[in-house]
Amino acid sequence: MASELLKGFRMLDLADEKGALAGKIFADMGAEVIKVEPPRGCPTRTIAPFLEDLPGPDRSLYAIAYHAGKKSVTANLDSPGGRELLAALAAKSDFLVESFDPGHLESIGLGYDALAKRNPRLIYTSITPFGDRGPARDYKWADIISWAAGGAMYMMGEEGKPPLQMSLPQAGLHAGGEASVASMLAHQARQRDGFGQRIVVNMQACIVWTLMNEQAMPILHGDYIKRTGVFTGSKDTRRKMVYRCKDGHISTLIAGGTLGGASTKALIAWMNEAGFAAQWMLEKDWTAWVPGMFMALTERDHFEINDLEDRIQKFFMTMTKQEIYAGTLKRRILLAPVATVADIAADPQLKAREYFVEVEHDALGRRMTMPGAFAKLSRTPIGAPTPAPAIGQHNGEIYGGLLGLGAARLGELKSAGAI
Amino acid sequence: MSEFALEGVKILDFAWVGVGPITTKYFADNGAEVIRVESSARPDVLRIAPPWKDARPGINSSQFFASYNTSKKGITLDLGKPKARELVKKLVPWADIVVESFTPKAMRNWGLDYPKLCELRPDLIMLSTCMQGQTGPNALYPGFGQLMAALSGFYYISGYNEESPCPPYGAYSDFVAPRFSASVLLAALDYRRRTGAGQYIDMSQYEASLHNLAPALIDYFATGRVLGPRANRSDRYAPHGAYRCADEDGNDRWIAIAVADDAQWRAMLEVLGAGDGDARFAAHRDRLRDSAAIDEFVNPLVREHNAYELTRKLQAAGVAAYPVQNCVDIHHDENLEAFDFWHWLEHKEMGLAVYEGLEHRMSRTPGALRSAAPILGQDNDEVFSGMLGLSADEIEVLKKENVIM
Repeated sequence: MASELLKGFRMLDLADEKGALAGKIFADMGAEVIKVEPPRGCPTRTIAPFLEDLPGPDRSLYAIAYHAGKKSVTANLDSPGGRELLAALAAKSDFLVESFDPGHLESIGLGYDALAKRNPRLIYTSITPFGDRGPARDYKWADIISWAAGGAMYMMGEEGKPPLQMSLPQAGLHAGGEASVASMLAHQARQRDGFGQRIVVNMQACIVWTLMNEQAMPILHGDYIKRTGVFTGSKDTRRKMVYRCKDGHISTLIAGGTLGGASTKALIAWMNEAGFAAQWMLEKDWTAWVPGMFMALTERDHFEINDLEDRIQKFFMTMTKQEIYAGTLKRRILLAPVATVADIAADPQLKAREYFVEVEHDALGRRMTMPGAFAKLSRTPIGAPTPAPAIGQHNGEIYGGLLGLGAARLGELKSAGAI
Repeated sequence: MSEFALEGVKILDFAWVGVGPITTKYFADNGAEVIRVESSARPDVLRIAPPWKDARPGINSSQFFASYNTSKKGITLDLGKPKARELVKKLVPWADIVVESFTPKAMRNWGLDYPKLCELRPDLIMLSTCMQGQTGPNALYPGFGQLMAALSGFYYISGYNEESPCPPYGAYSDFVAPRFSASVLLAALDYRRRTGAGQYIDMSQYEASLHNLAPALIDYFATGRVLGPRANRSDRYAPHGAYRCADEDGNDRWIAIAVADDAQWRAMLEVLGAGDGDARFAAHRDRLRDSAAIDEFVNPLVREHNAYELTRKLQAAGVAAYPVQNCVDIHHDENLEAFDFWHWLEHKEMGLAVYEGLEHRMSRTPGALRSAAPILGQDNDEVFSGMLGLSADEIEVLKKENVIM
C-alpha cells in the first residue's frame, strides 16, 4: 500500500543511476512516479548484477530495487512525437527529475524554461556530476568519478595501495536522495505561492558532504587523513576500528570521556571475566581518559592504546561476530558486527520491526524480498511498493488515461517510433 | 530578494551528533526557524570533537559541530530538571516540528513523548531518529554512525578482500539517513498543510541506510549470494579503479578511470601512447574478465603522468577520469568553486571558518548558510525573555538553579 503522504502528486522520472533513488523515495511517500524511458528501456536496466546472472531488462537488481513503486511509459525523445509526449506529461506533472548530460534536454526543447511555459508549477530537478557551469560540466561520468572527485575514495584503503570504492557504488544514491530533499524544499515554496523552479544537484558536492569532520582538518589542523586501512583518525587520534573475530570482523572504537568511557569500562569488565584484561585497565578511570583529544600522546598513552588493542583482538578471536554482538548489546558496549547481507537478513531487530517486505513480481514469476519503509509514520505509513515496472507497462494507462490519447493516435505514435 | 522555501516553519530541535542536526540543517538553511535545545551538562559530543579553531579545543570552537548547525539558534536547558521540562512545554505550541535523537526511552521518561506533546500542540509533527528505531529488541542500542556503517553492511563491501576490510571514512550512515529523514519531514509538513493532521515519525538510521544497499539485499534473499569486498572491480567498466600517477611534493597521487566500451578503450590507449594495447584485451568482454591483469597493464602507462593533466587529456578524448582528491584538494577544486560550494562564515568565537555549502542550487528560492552555528546558550535571552516572556530576574533564578545551563 502506497503512503497517503504525497497522494495526488506526480513525478516524471527521467533519471538514470545518478538519481533513481529520488523517484523511489517519492514513490514510497505515495507520489505517482512515472519513469519515462526510451523504447529500449532505461540504461539502469543494463546494470549488472542480474537476478540469477541472467541479463534482461526486468532482471537488473539495481532496477528491481530502485524502480519499485514506479510506473513506466516509453517515449523516444529523439523523435518529435516522443518529445511532445514528454512535454504533454510535464504539463500535467508536479515534479520532473532528470540526469541527462547537462544541457541535453534544453537542446531538444525540453529544458526547464520550455516546460515551465506550459506548466509554471513544475519543479524540475537536474542531477549533474559537477554542476551546470564548471569546467568539468561535460565530463564523462561513472560513479567512481564522483567518489574520487568528492574526496571519499582517497581515505578508503591501505597506505601504498589503490584508493577504493565500495562494491556497491554510492554516489548516485546520495545524489538521488539529495534530489528528493531539494524537490521537496521547492514543493514547500510552491505550496505557498504556486510557482515551481529549477534545481541543480551537484554529485561531487554530495560526496564532499559525506567526509564528516575531515573536510576542515587541513585548514584548521594543518593535517589530512591518508589511507590507513582499519584505522581512523590522524596522528594522535588514530584508533583501530575493525577487529578480527572467529568468523569475520567486528567494529568498535576505544574511547573514553562522556562518549565512550562507560562502554570501554564495560568491555574491560567483560574481558576480565574471560581473563583477557590487564590490571591497569581495571584501575583506570575511563570517563577521564581522552588521550589525543586535548594533547599530544605520551609514551604511557601509546602503551595503553596498544595494549588495549592487542588484548581486545585476542579476546574477540575467541568468539563469533554474533556472539560478540549479543554480548555487547547486553553490556551496552559500543560495537557492531561488520555485517554481511546475510547477517542483515537474519537480524532479529529488523524482523521484530517487520522491515523487509515481499513484492510479487509477475514479470519474473516470483516473489522478491526487499527493504521496506525507510521510516515508520503513524498516520501515513509506507507500505510495500509495487514491483518495478516492465518497459512501457503503463503506456495505455498514462497515455490513454492521463493524456486522453485514443487508440488511433497511440498507433500513429508507435509506428512513428515515438513510443 | 526571494523568500526562503521554508519561511515561517518552526522547529524545536533536541537532536544531537549527526543525523538529527543534519536533517534540521536543511530546514534552517532554507529559512525555517530552528531552535536547538542543548545542555552544557551533557553537550553535543561534536562540540568536544575536532577539528577546532587553531587546533585548540573549546566547547564553542569545534568545526565538526559548526558544520551541521548553521543558521540555527541555540538555547540550553538541563532536561533532567522538571522546571526545564516546563519551559520546553511552553515552547512546544510554537513548534511545527519537534526533532529528537535520544535513545528511545529518554523523551518518554521526561514526559515529552509524542502523545504528551500533542496535548500541547495537536497537529504537531515529531521525528524521532535513533540507531535502530523506537521498537524491537535492540531499540536501546547505543552507538554512533561509524558502528552503524558496519552494522548496515557498508564496511563489509569495502576492501581489497575479505581478510582486510577498509571502511569508508567516518560515520558514513550519518550522511545517508538525513536525505531520507529530511524528505519525509518535508512531506509530512505538506500533508499537514493539506489535511490539518500531524504525525509521529519513527526513523531507524539502520533501516534508512539499508536502502543504499538494496540491490545486494534483494540478491541475497533471491539467490543467497553475498556481496563482498571486490577492491575496485566492476561488472561494467574495465579498466575501473584508481591508478597511481606521478607523486607531487612527496605525496602519492592517483587518478580514477572508468572505461565503458571499446571506443573509450582505444581513446585511452591513444592518450597514453600505448598503440593498440594488448591482444589479450581486444574486446570489452575480455577486459571485464581479468581486472587484475588490466590494472597491471594500465599502471605503468599512467605512473609518470600528472593526475590533473592526464584527467584533462582523457576527458577530452571522452574517457571518464578524475584525480582521486584528498581533503586539501577539494578546497582548491575548480568545479566546486564554480558551483560556489565553499562558504566562509563569521562565528562568534571561531571567527572566519570554512563551511560546506549546499549540495544543490534552487533557482527561485535558494537556500543559504544564514549564520554560523550558535555558541552554547547563545539565544537564551531571546527565547526565554522574548518568546516566553520571562523577566530578567526569573531567568537569573533559573540560571542559578542550573535549569538554564
